[in-house]
Amino acid sequence: MLTLSPTLGVLQASANLADWTGQDAESAIGRSLGEVIGDSANARLEQELETGALGARPQYLGTITVGNGRHFDVLGHAWDSLVIVEFEAVDRPHPADFRHLYTLVSDFLQKVNEHASIPALSELAARHVRSAIGYGRVMVYQFDPSGHGRVVAESLAPGYDSYLGQSFPASDIPAQARELYRLSPIRLIQDANYQPAPLLPADNPVTGARNDLSFAALRSVSPVHLQYMRNMGTLASMSVSILVKGKLWGLISCHNAEPFAVPVEKRTTCEQLGQILSLCIETREDAGELQFRLDVRRIMVELLGQLTKSADFVDNLSGVFPQLLRFARAGGVAIVADERILTYGDTPGDDAIRNLSTWLAVHGHTELFHTNHLADVYPAARDLMNNASGLMALPISRIHQHYLLWFRPELVQTVEWAGNPYEKQALPDAPTQLSPRQSFAAWRETIHGHSLPWHAAEVELAIEFRSALLGIALERAEQMAELAEELSRSNKELEAFSYSVSHDLRAPLRHIAGFSDLLMESSGSEDVAMRQRFLKNIKESARLAGKLVDDLLSFSQMGRAALRPASIDLTDMVSGCIDKLGVEIGQRNVEWHIDALPTIHADPTFLHLALFNLLSNAVKFTGARDPAIIRIWADDTALDTVVHVADNGAGFNMDYVHKLFGVFQRLHRMEDFQGTGIGLANVRRIVERHGGRVWAESKNGEGATFSFSIPKQLTLT
Amino acid sequence: MLKPILLVEDNPHDLELTLIALAKSQLANEVVVVRDGAEALDYLHRRGEFAERVLGSPAVILLDLKLPKVDGLEVLKEIRQTAALKAIPVVMLTSSKEEQDVVRSYELGVNAYVVKPVDFSEFLRAIADLGMFWAVLNEPPPGSRRYIKPK
Repeated sequence: MLTLSPTLGVLQASANLADWTGQDAESAIGRSLGEVIGDSANARLEQELETGALGARPQYLGTITVGNGRHFDVLGHAWDSLVIVEFEAVDRPHPADFRHLYTLVSDFLQKVNEHASIPALSELAARHVRSAIGYGRVMVYQFDPSGHGRVVAESLAPGYDSYLGQSFPASDIPAQARELYRLSPIRLIQDANYQPAPLLPADNPVTGARNDLSFAALRSVSPVHLQYMRNMGTLASMSVSILVKGKLWGLISCHNAEPFAVPVEKRTTCEQLGQILSLCIETREDAGELQFRLDVRRIMVELLGQLTKSADFVDNLSGVFPQLLRFARAGGVAIVADERILTYGDTPGDDAIRNLSTWLAVHGHTELFHTNHLADVYPAARDLMNNASGLMALPISRIHQHYLLWFRPELVQTVEWAGNPYEKQALPDAPTQLSPRQSFAAWRETIHGHSLPWHAAEVELAIEFRSALLGIALERAEQMAELAEELSRSNKELEAFSYSVSHDLRAPLRHIAGFSDLLMESSGSEDVAMRQRFLKNIKESARLAGKLVDDLLSFSQMGRAALRPASIDLTDMVSGCIDKLGVEIGQRNVEWHIDALPTIHADPTFLHLALFNLLSNAVKFTGARDPAIIRIWADDTALDTVVHVADNGAGFNMDYVHKLFGVFQRLHRMEDFQGTGIGLANVRRIVERHGGRVWAESKNGEGATFSFSIPKQLTLT
Repeated sequence: MLKPILLVEDNPHDLELTLIALAKSQLANEVVVVRDGAEALDYLHRRGEFAERVLGSPAVILLDLKLPKVDGLEVLKEIRQTAALKAIPVVMLTSSKEEQDVVRSYELGVNAYVVKPVDFSEFLRAIADLGMFWAVLNEPPPGSRRYIKPK
């Protein structure tokens, strides 16, 4: 290996340079590349190295013959502020023949589509890699989330032990190595007994620090790893990274008992096979993932569809227990809502669930919480392993400690380790970092207290499910708020009712008592007229009290009774009201001017009451007119029908129009116009319950016009 | 010249009973009767049909709570917000002691709140006491004269 300056001056050289070129490493330093490898070789490389097109990963630049007649494949990459050039001795003067490798790759490409499952694909890749490089054992292994690798496929030459199905502990590959595997796609150690050749000088002259040879093909590896290889009985090894979505999914790991060189063209082929395998795994996983998500989502949609039907939230949820169970592939489901605990399937007992939900709340698990090894975080779960080794807890209220809990049973797992992974910790005398384990004989471990892990899609969709639940809860809350509003409205009316009972109803009673006392007091008096008046007052008060009670009752009933709309001929209804007013009109001269009136859709009983109130008011307030003129007409539009009642009576002061339709509001003196102050309040209530509007206009002393609208599209309240 | 008592009452029966009670209490003050809140304000502000009345504020206003057009609380509020009127004692006379009304009245600065008793002799006593206290015993605001009961 040589490291070069941008002008191709030699900055560092491997200490073993003399073994290959006959020239001392020390004497090479400071010279030009041409002086070290010979002019013809230099001429071949110069162009490649100077173009500046050199990448950050080693690439094959060509095969050269140096001054002493030896042939080398040359790799170059620009890294660590240097041009790093690596020379691998070969026994041919020409570049390798790639043709049979192309067939290998295209054969693999053709066959990948025939294999659906990831193990089958991996097996195919293992076979192709082995036929490319000729090693004795090629394994594909996959890392689990905790970093343990499990052999999912292998291809063996006769005489090699099988590791298929066995697991290699995460500690076999340190974190730095994993990161390197992610960045660099291929590594080769062709002889575990090699003698490393250091660079001279030892430090990178540009940076002043140790060289970063992360990506160099010929770099030396950790002595621990070499020992590991020797312990495993493999003197040559190569590994190709399998990257899925930027993460180290697994490795293609190749072993050979004897040292075995793999030339650059074969390494490149293996790299490509690895890339194709990575892509295939990615698509297969994506497809599988998508299918899985679709299935879970379908169950969720089904769940939600059945949820919205009942009123009580908890009952509602418990009505879909079977779907909830399927949704999360759980063994048991529980709903915890305050003191209520509802369970389905295989769950711990109520007390255990209560304690668990308290623990969840205490530990602030206000977002979704899930584990496939509950006892690990919640020691009390050791007694619950049978049905609650796995837990997914979904808080379903932001205010209360309400949880939806899914339980998964224990899944007793037997892991077959390639050698006892705990063994190296068992050697107290050696620093564990530097002592890889001795034995790779299969070692069985049974794992307790774990459940099937929760799939990412299950967790995500559970959160989505919660949003939907909260949405439903919100909708319900809105309904409640509406109900509360309605209640408060009727409560307000009830208050107004009791208020007026204490005011308006008490007054006539007080009057009766007062005038009775006065009447008794004046029993000896000669003033007959005065006593007559007291009696008259008493009689009037009693009558008023009776009418007040009637009106109050009708007003309160008006708020409660359901409306039953029907088709109403307004002309008929008006003439009915006028007939009824006959007694009140008596001998008075009232002129009725009634236009052609439309047919409308409303509750006949209620509308009759409203219309009668308006007409009766018109008759009452025109008491001093001769003739009294009352006009009735209607405006019919596409949206609504507006009915107007106009009179030439006393009218009212527009300053107080805002009080006109209020309960027990009067704008006139009692002795001028009798009334309880409920009539117009009734009219407003009836019209508003039909979704309409009521208003009035007047000029004091010159009559009034009352109008109300009834919409064509009734919105009944 | 004694200051009058302003009685604001819409109900004819209540009016008759209150006038009888005031007559029986033998107060010498004139009683001015208005029939709703709007009239009361017209009287106090000397406007409308009262534009020509003799200058001066009443000794006390007996104000019914529920009145047509402008109710007793609105009248009270306006009295207390008008510099020339705010010193006049106001007694709220009402049929009920609904808490909201009592609270609201005192918030607005009423001087007394009297629930009209159902029993007539009690009503007589209440009106007589009120007249005596507010028209006779109470030290009126500066500038008004105090009534001295004839011996």
